[in-house]
Amino acid sequence: MPRRILALLLLALAALPVQARTATARVDRISAAGVELEHVVVRLHWPAGAAQGELQVDAGRVDAAEFGYRFDRVRWRCPLSRTALDGWHCDGPLQGSGGAPLRLALDLSPAITDAVLSGDGARIALHRNAATPDATQIDLTRVPLAWAQALLAQAWADGRVGKGIVDGQATLETPTARPLRIDARLALSQVALESRDGSIAIGDLRARLDLDYRQPANAGALLAIDATLQGGELLYGNTYVALTDAPVHARVDARQLAHGDWDVPHLSWQDGDALAIEGAATLAADGTPSRLELAARSATLETVPARYLSGWLGLAGLSDLGLEGAFDARLRVEDGCLANIDAAFHDVSVLDPRQRFRIEGLDGDLRHAADAGVESELRWRQGQLYGLAFGAIRLPLRSDGGTLRLREPADLAMLGGEVRLEGFTLRLPEAGSSLRIGFGLALDGLDLGQLSRALGWPEFGGTLSGRIPSARYADERLDFDGGLSVQAFDGRIDVDALSMERPFGVAPTLSADLALHDLDLLAITEVFDFGSITGRLHGHIGGLRLVDWSATAFDAELHTEPRKGVRQRISQRAVQDISSVGDASFVSSLQGRLIGLFDDFGYRRIGIACRLENEVCRMSGLHSAGNGFTIVEGAGVPKLQVVGFNRDVDWPTLLERLAAVATGDVAPVVQ
Amino acid sequence: MRRLVGMPIFIALALCACVTINVYFPAAEAKEAARQFVEKVIGDDAQPSPPAATPPGDGGMAVRGVRFDPLALLGIGSAYAQSQPDITIRTPAIQAIQSRMEQRFNGTLRPHFDSGALGFGQDGLVVVRDASALAIKDRVAVNAAVADDNRDRKAVYREIAVANGHPEWEDQIRDVFARQWIASARAGWWYQQGGSWKQK
Repeated sequence: MPRRILALLLLALAALPVQARTATARVDRISAAGVELEHVVVRLHWPAGAAQGELQVDAGRVDAAEFGYRFDRVRWRCPLSRTALDGWHCDGPLQGSGGAPLRLALDLSPAITDAVLSGDGARIALHRNAATPDATQIDLTRVPLAWAQALLAQAWADGRVGKGIVDGQATLETPTARPLRIDARLALSQVALESRDGSIAIGDLRARLDLDYRQPANAGALLAIDATLQGGELLYGNTYVALTDAPVHARVDARQLAHGDWDVPHLSWQDGDALAIEGAATLAADGTPSRLELAARSATLETVPARYLSGWLGLAGLSDLGLEGAFDARLRVEDGCLANIDAAFHDVSVLDPRQRFRIEGLDGDLRHAADAGVESELRWRQGQLYGLAFGAIRLPLRSDGGTLRLREPADLAMLGGEVRLEGFTLRLPEAGSSLRIGFGLALDGLDLGQLSRALGWPEFGGTLSGRIPSARYADERLDFDGGLSVQAFDGRIDVDALSMERPFGVAPTLSADLALHDLDLLAITEVFDFGSITGRLHGHIGGLRLVDWSATAFDAELHTEPRKGVRQRISQRAVQDISSVGDASFVSSLQGRLIGLFDDFGYRRIGIACRLENEVCRMSGLHSAGNGFTIVEGAGVPKLQVVGFNRDVDWPTLLERLAAVATGDVAPVVQ
Repeated sequence: MRRLVGMPIFIALALCACVTINVYFPAAEAKEAARQFVEKVIGDDAQPSPPAATPPGDGGMAVRGVRFDPLALLGIGSAYAQSQPDITIRTPAIQAIQSRMEQRFNGTLRPHFDSGALGFGQDGLVVVRDASALAIKDRVAVNAAVADDNRDRKAVYREIAVANGHPEWEDQIRDVFARQWIASARAGWWYQQGGSWKQK
């Protein structure tokens, strides 16, 4: 078409008198190769006898609707000259409203059309051959990806091009009565793209693309992309992919549906041993998958957290989680909900960098189906929870109606005893409710020595047993029904009303009521290196609340009760320790300084109570003594009485004193 | 804050001879506690804050003071337990969270409040308002920091309620804090109000 207009103008010039000649053609509309020009004015000025004329083309509007481009008031001026082979050559600046300065060179001959658009280091060369009028060859050299913004917006309305450079070739086919087709082999570098809301983004990507795009009339576009990606980063919602220099092969076949949705009958992602995915999907216009079928496999999980999971792990507070082993899974999402998942673990290890937990040798499978009952089984070799090691377990599971259940009780070796997990159920988060877990626990003969070692407490012997028929976890709260019984210090401690908040989260809390029955005081004082007191200890610690494993509240009352055959003696060191901790003074019938002459004293009763609230311990003892309270009531000679005076004691200071006692670093004052 | 409601109780007594004792949420004290907490986290350089000393009376004291008896030979002082419900934020757990939040705010979050990428939500949490203002890699790190911070915030609101003996105050404490984060926000920062974003 342009050739024809030019030929007409030249004919008109030839017919005019031999002087400086100017011809002007006005055309309302020109259509060619998917591009429409409107209100075109072509003006040719050819001075008499000159070797070249001057061509000026103005277009009120240039519209390439199928590619999404539109320019207004475009002007191209160039010197026009003849070439061999009966052709014409024109090369000059191209100006549009608001555009950067560009240069357009045009070579027209009966056989060939060549156009080169260049500017700012970029070059697009367009080549058409009269023999194949429907095909246009396009060569791209360092073309800014931003030039493809309008083309991108056709496929993805929210997409914004940041930067990027394209090199390569493309063939544009515009046959009449057949779909428009672009076939391209492109090399992209420094690509940055993102959606308007920033939820989908590509950064600094290097890629080679084979792209096949077809746009049938009155139907959705068809797109096939075969890509090799090297380096850069991808973000899709909370999924962040950090690519390395190792190439990733990706393929997407897609078809645009009504309302801008995309059907993706095939997608694949091949990242060596780290992750291989094959699947199909239906995506909404904003990129959310309404239907998704994926088969994923990772032969070595080591690099998966850093490359693929960092976004999700960060949200869960598990950044830098370590994974080892192999994994494969098939999953299906229907209407935006998980319809089924079939995952298999092969010797997987999960390691929390903050040492809260670790699981080693996880094997077996995990199946879930929204609308059918399916069975599966998981096993692990060993693990650790807050420093407490546990052994192998076998978990036969059944998933039914969105709930995962344990089919039969599972036994776990822990702390030299056994933990039996019963009636485990897990309900996945749904609209309006969070993850819910329920289970029962039976503890049998857990060794307190190992427990105290693992928790860094002073070591003491004993066993922990008990049964919690029902425990529930929901909304970051873990409640236990039933109670535990601790056999320790030759007596018994009953633990009731046990609950935890944020067990794996910020400042985990633990609440419980403890009742102490007939504990051997001598064993306790020896363990805590608190001098030595013989006798039997009873009492309760109600409303105990630990935050971050430190006590913040309780109402405790401890006292001795006489038992036949048990002597009640308190050593001089214990007296001093009690005094220094409790800021008590001891009153004895002898002069205070003579106290040092005795190794131990008989006592009738010892009693102390502390109600901890707001970091203050309100203390009391057996009974009031003047403006103080009696902690130790002596018996025999010398008769000793320890009396506390500070009823409100600062709790952190009290703890410091207790720690000092344990290390023997006290200097009590004898009044 | 345990108050006998004068007239209504008198009327109630007259009507059915039963007594109601209401424990009111100490709004003023909670506000003061929230102000101290928030400005410690955000940094109170830009806004003058009243001295942290004990205000007169029992109305405005939010942080319980611990008084040491200098004569206590063995280093144990006596402390004054509050007989009235008060808003205490000086528990070790809350202070540990506070200092972690302060570090996170200065280390990670502040520049993104300046750029408008983050804003304060109506629910006392941090919201990613405009992710496109962040580099892609930062988006992941900031999302993680925001998730961490919001976990800390929820724990703080809960722990303040529990530490003050009224777990049921959690929602009110959260509301007080939500208003305080916005009140203490610097000029140019964004916050949610009535479901839409506003710039301070």
